[in-house]
Amino acid sequence: MTQLVESVAIQDFPLWTRMKATRGLISFDLEATARCNNNCRHCYINLSAGDRDARSRELTLQEIGCIADQAVELGALWVLISGGEPLLREDFPEIYMLLKRKGLLVSVFTNATLVHDEHIALFKRYPPRDIEVTVYGATEETYERVTGRLGSFDAFTAGLNRLLECGVKVRLKAMAIRSNLHELEAIADFCRARTNDYFRFDPQLHLRFDGNEERNRLIKSERLTPEEVVALEMKDTQRLASLRKNCDILIDGSSSHAACDHLFHCGLGNSSFNVGFDGTFRLCSSLWAPGTTFDLRRGTLREAWKSFVPKVRDMRSRKPEYLENCRACPIVNLCLWCPAHAHLESGELDRPIDYFCRMAHARAAAIRGECPE
Amino acid sequence: MEITLDLVCMPSENIVARIIEEELIIVPLVSGIGDMDDELYTMNRTGRAIWSRLDGEKSLQEIADELAGEFGTSPGVIERDLLGLVTELVRRKMVVVR
Ligand SMILES: C[S@@+](CC[C@H](N)C(=O)[O-])C[C@H]1O[C@@H](n2cnc3c(N)ncnc32)[C@H](O)[C@@H]1O
Ligand code: SF4
Ligand code: SF4
Repeated sequence: MTQLVESVAIQDFPLWTRMKATRGLISFDLEATARCNNNCRHCYINLSAGDRDARSRELTLQEIGCIADQAVELGALWVLISGGEPLLREDFPEIYMLLKRKGLLVSVFTNATLVHDEHIALFKRYPPRDIEVTVYGATEETYERVTGRLGSFDAFTAGLNRLLECGVKVRLKAMAIRSNLHELEAIADFCRARTNDYFRFDPQLHLRFDGNEERNRLIKSERLTPEEVVALEMKDTQRLASLRKNCDILIDGSSSHAACDHLFHCGLGNSSFNVGFDGTFRLCSSLWAPGTTFDLRRGTLREAWKSFVPKVRDMRSRKPEYLENCRACPIVNLCLWCPAHAHLESGELDRPIDYFCRMAHARAAAIRGECPE
Repeated sequence: MEITLDLVCMPSENIVARIIEEELIIVPLVSGIGDMDDELYTMNRTGRAIWSRLDGEKSLQEIADELAGEFGTSPGVIERDLLGLVTELVRRKMVVVR
C-alpha cells in the first residue's frame, strides 16, 4: 500500500515553509490576562490579581472563541496562552479546551504556582504541546525576592512537581536579573535536574507595556550590565557554540538596511500576531506604539491581518539619528534594539537606545574575539 | 479489530481534522493518538479522498465503489488501499467504527 497517512514531527512540517512564503498565519499568542498572583520585580505586564478594572476588560470566553475561529480560518495551527498568569483565570480550563477543540496546538506559559488537580487532569487527558515554566530562583529567599510574594516558592515547587509527575512536556527557563544573578548556576542545576532540555536564560529586559514609570525604574534596576551579560553568555558553552556558528550572520554588513527607510526589518506580522487581554491586536508582543495596534473588539481579525498589518509593515522613518545608526548597523542582529523596544524605552519607534547599543557592542567584541578570522 | 468492507466508519472525536492550504491535517486532541507525541498527520490525495467519505453513513464497500469510479482504478486495488488506511486509522484511534 502506498503511504496514505503520514505522521510528521511538528518542526519538520513542510507546510511551515510554504505558509511563510505566502505570509500565512501560523501562530498567535493570547495574553489571557495581565493580572498575576506574583509581583515580579522585572515584569513588563503584571497588574495585581484583584485588579477589578483589568479583570472587567479581559476578553470573555466567547470573545476568545470568536478570535480563535477567525485565526483558524486564516490557517493558524498554534497558540500560546500566556499572561500575566493564565492559570489565574477561573475559566482557564474552558479557554484551553476551546482552543484545543478548534484543532490548535496549545502551549502555555505559567509560573506554576496555581496548578491544581483540575489542571493536571486536563493536561493528562488533553496534552498541551508544551508548558513553559519560569524559574525565578532555586531557593525560597531568592525566588520570593524576585516574585515579591511570601509562600510563592513552595507553591511553585509543588505546582512544578505536579506538572512533571503528570508527564506533560515541561520546559524550564530563567531570567537572569540583578536579584537572582548570584544564584543563576543553582537555577541552571535546578532546571537540568528536572528536564533534559537545554537550559535557557534570558538576560535582556524590556520595559513595561503600560509605561508605568515606577515599575520601569524597577525593571532598569534589575538589568545586568553589558559586561555581566557577555560574561554569562561566554560561560554558556552551547550558546557560545551557536554564536560562533552564526558569526557571519550575526555580524554582517549586509544585514543592515542602509538603502531603505522602512522601520521594520524583522519578520513582524509575517506568520504570527499577539492579542492582549482586552482584545488589542499587535504584530508582536512589544509593539504598542500609537498607530500600530488594532482593537479586535471593533474590527475583525481578517481586517487586522489582511489590511492593517501591511500598513504597519510599511511604516518609515525620516529621523537621521535612526537612518544613520540602527538602520545601517552591522550588529543589529546582536542587539535588543527594534522599533518596538525603542518605543517602550523612549516613546519613539526610531530612536537608538544607549543601553542596547552598549550591550550589542560588548557582545560583538566578545564574539569577534571568539570568531575564527 | 478486523476491518471489513461492510463496516461504517467515522472520524473519532479525539482528533480534529483541518484543511490548511489545501492540505488535510489531523491534530490529535487526547493523549495516546498515533505512535509518538508531538506529531501531526497528513494524507496524500487518495488518503484525503477516502477520509472525506468516512461520514458515519456510507459503508466502506460503498466508499470503495465510489472511489473506483472516480479514480478509474480497479476495485481490487481501491479496496486494498481503503482497508489498509482504515485499519491504520482505527489502530491510531483517529477513526471509529460505528
Ligand atoms: C510575563 S510572563 C507570563 C507567564 C508567566 N507568568 C511566567 O512568569 O512565566 C512571560 C515571560 O516573560 C518574562 N518577563 C517578565 N518581565 C520581562 C521583561 N521586562 N523583559 C523580558 N522578559 C520578561 C517572564 O519572566 C516570563 O518568563
Ligand atoms: S509570574 Fe510572570 S506574569 Fe507574574 S509577575 Fe512574574 S513574570 Fe509577571
Ligand atoms: S542600538 Fe546601537 S547596536 Fe543596536 S541597532 Fe542601534 S546602532 Fe546598532
